[in-house]
Amino acid sequence: MSTNAKGVSLAGIVKWYGKVQAVRGVDLDVAPGEMVSLLGPSGCGKTTTLRMIAGLEVPDAGEIRIGDARANDVPPWKRNIGMVFQNYALFPHKTVAENIAYGLVMRRLPRAEIATRVADAMRQVQLSGLDDRVPSQLSGGQRQRVALARALVTRPDVLLFDEPLAALDRKLREQMQVEIRQLQRAVGITTIFVTHDQDEALTLSDRIVVMEGGRIVQSGTPGEIYERPGSHFVSDFIGMMNALRATVLGREGDGRLRVRMEPGGRELLVTGPAGMDAGAAVELMLRPEKVRLNPPAAPGTIEATGTVAHVVYLGPVTYLHVRTADGVLIAMLPNAEGGGAQPRQGEAVSIGWRAADMVCFAPPDDA
Amino acid sequence: MTSKRLLSAYVVVMMVFLALPIAVVIPSAFSAGSDLSFPPQGFSLKWFAAILERPAILAAAWNSAAIAVVATAVSLVVGTLSAFALRRYRFPGRAALATLFMTPLVFPAIVLAAAIAMVLAPLGLIRTFQGLVLAHIVIVLPYVVRTVSATLAEIDKAWEEAALTLGASPWEGFRTITLPLLRPGLVAGATFSLIISFDEFTISLFLVGSGMMTLPIEMYNYAEFSLDPTLAAVSTLLILLTTLAVLAVERTVGLGKQFA
Repeated sequence: MSTNAKGVSLAGIVKWYGKVQAVRGVDLDVAPGEMVSLLGPSGCGKTTTLRMIAGLEVPDAGEIRIGDARANDVPPWKRNIGMVFQNYALFPHKTVAENIAYGLVMRRLPRAEIATRVADAMRQVQLSGLDDRVPSQLSGGQRQRVALARALVTRPDVLLFDEPLAALDRKLREQMQVEIRQLQRAVGITTIFVTHDQDEALTLSDRIVVMEGGRIVQSGTPGEIYERPGSHFVSDFIGMMNALRATVLGREGDGRLRVRMEPGGRELLVTGPAGMDAGAAVELMLRPEKVRLNPPAAPGTIEATGTVAHVVYLGPVTYLHVRTADGVLIAMLPNAEGGGAQPRQGEAVSIGWRAADMVCFAPPDDA
Repeated sequence: MTSKRLLSAYVVVMMVFLALPIAVVIPSAFSAGSDLSFPPQGFSLKWFAAILERPAILAAAWNSAAIAVVATAVSLVVGTLSAFALRRYRFPGRAALATLFMTPLVFPAIVLAAAIAMVLAPLGLIRTFQGLVLAHIVIVLPYVVRTVSATLAEIDKAWEEAALTLGASPWEGFRTITLPLLRPGLVAGATFSLIISFDEFTISLFLVGSGMMTLPIEMYNYAEFSLDPTLAAVSTLLILLTTLAVLAVERTVGLGKQFA
C-alpha cells in the first residue's frame, strides 16, 4: 500500500449535545504519518472528537482540516478516511471478502483491481483463506483484522480507531496492539486512536493526547506524559503514583521551587510549573518504580526509613507500601535474580528516591 | 406425572378446538351433495368448478387481491419510513406518534369503520377502489410498522456509519446495508398486510356497494341466499393460499423472529 499521509488539524472545535457541551474547544495538530491516541475516561469527549474528524458529527464551532483542505462541510463519504469501530461494525450479511471490498466497490474501481487489493489486504492482516466466511463465523481477533483490512484497503488519508480493542481479552488485546502499531508504521498512515486504556495508549502512540471534560489537558510523547504529567488527573489516569502533599516556600534563582512536605516537614527543591506562589499547596507525584530500596548515597537522593505496611506480589514485581515520616510511599521492586527475598510486612526498611523524579503540580480540586 | 398428562390433554383439546372449523370446512368443499353440511356426502370437485360460474365471486376476488397488493405496496413504503423515524430519531411527540400508528390494532373495528366512512363519503370515495385502498392502508400499516421496527432494532447504526466512512452516500448505504438487513421484516410485514387486507370485513362493509365488492363481503352476501358448498370451496382455496404464504415466510425469514 502506498503512503499518502495527510495531517489533521483541529482548531477551536466545540460540540454541543442539547444542553451538554461535549467538546469544549479542542486544538490539535496531527502530523502526516503520526499515530496519536486520544486518551481519557468515558464522557471526556474523545469519541465525539474522533467522530467529528470522521464527519459523523458536525462541530458547532471551530475548523477541521485534513491535509490542506477544510473538511467541516465535507460529508464522511467524501473524506477518504478509514475507521475501525468499537465492536468492528462488520456487515453481518456480507462475507469477509465482501466486507473488505465494500469501500473499493463504492469507489467504482474495476473488478480485477478490487480482487487484487482485497487479496493483498487479507494477506497483510493474515486472513487469507477466510474470504467466504461471514462475520459471525469469526473469532474476535479475526473480526478485528477484517475491520482493519476494510479500513485500510481504500488507502485512506487518515485512519481512525474508536476503542477497537475493548471487546478482546487481555492477551489478544496486547497482541493486536503490537500488530496495529506494526501495520501503521509499515503503511505510514496518519492515525488517531481513541482509548480509555492507558497501556494501549502507551503501546501504540507517537503522541498521547489526554482529554478530560471535553478539553485536552495534556499532549506529549508516552514518555513525557508518563514521566512529567502536568496535573493530578493525568498522573492518576496513567500509571500508579505516590501523591505527596507539600507547601511552597519560595522559588529559587534557578526556577526550582522550595517546598516543605507534609507530614514530615522535609524541605526539598523540585521543578514546578509557573504561577506557584509561596504558601500555595501543591502535590508531589512520584512513580513507585522510582522509589528504591537501600539506595546508594548520592547527591540529590532523598532517603527515608520506615516499616513495611503491606506487600503486594505481582509476579514480575512486588509493591511495598512503606510507612515513613513523609507518609505512606509505594515502592515497586523488580523480582529479579532468582526470586530473591523481598522485605516482609512489619520489617524496617530504608528507601530513597531522587528529587528530580518528583513532579509538582496543583492538588486536585476535591482535596 | 398426572399433571403432565393433564397438560397434554389440555393442549390437545385446545388444538382441536382451534382447528375444528378448518376440519369442517375443508371436507365440506369436496362434498358431492348440494347442502353446506357436515359430514359431507360423497366426494366431488364440482364445487370448485362452480366458483368459475360465479362472476360476482370472481370479480370480488380480483378486487380484494388488487386492493391488498396496492395497500401493501403503499404501506411498505410509508411504514418503513415511519419505522425509521420512530426508531432512529428523537423528536417531540414521538411516543404519541408511535401509539397513534398502533391504534388501528386495538381500536374497535366498527368504530373505525364508521369513522372512515364519514371521512370518505364527502370525498366521493365510497364504493370506489381508491377508497377501499385508503381504508385498508390504515388497517395494515400497523403491521408493517411493527415488523419493520422490530427488524430495524437489530440493525446496528454503526453498520450504516461504517458504510459512510467507506465512501457510500446515505442512499448507497441504505441500499447495500440497511435494506438487505431489513428484508425479513419487509417480507413478514408484506405477508401479514396482504392476508389482513384480503380478509378485511367490517370496515370494507361500510365502503363497498354494487360494482365494487370485496371477496369476504361477496361471500357473506352469497351465504344469505344459497348455502351450497361453493363457499366451502372458496374458503378451502383461501386456507391453502394463506398456509402457503405463511410457510414461505417461515422458510425464508422465520416468523418467530418477527413476533418474538
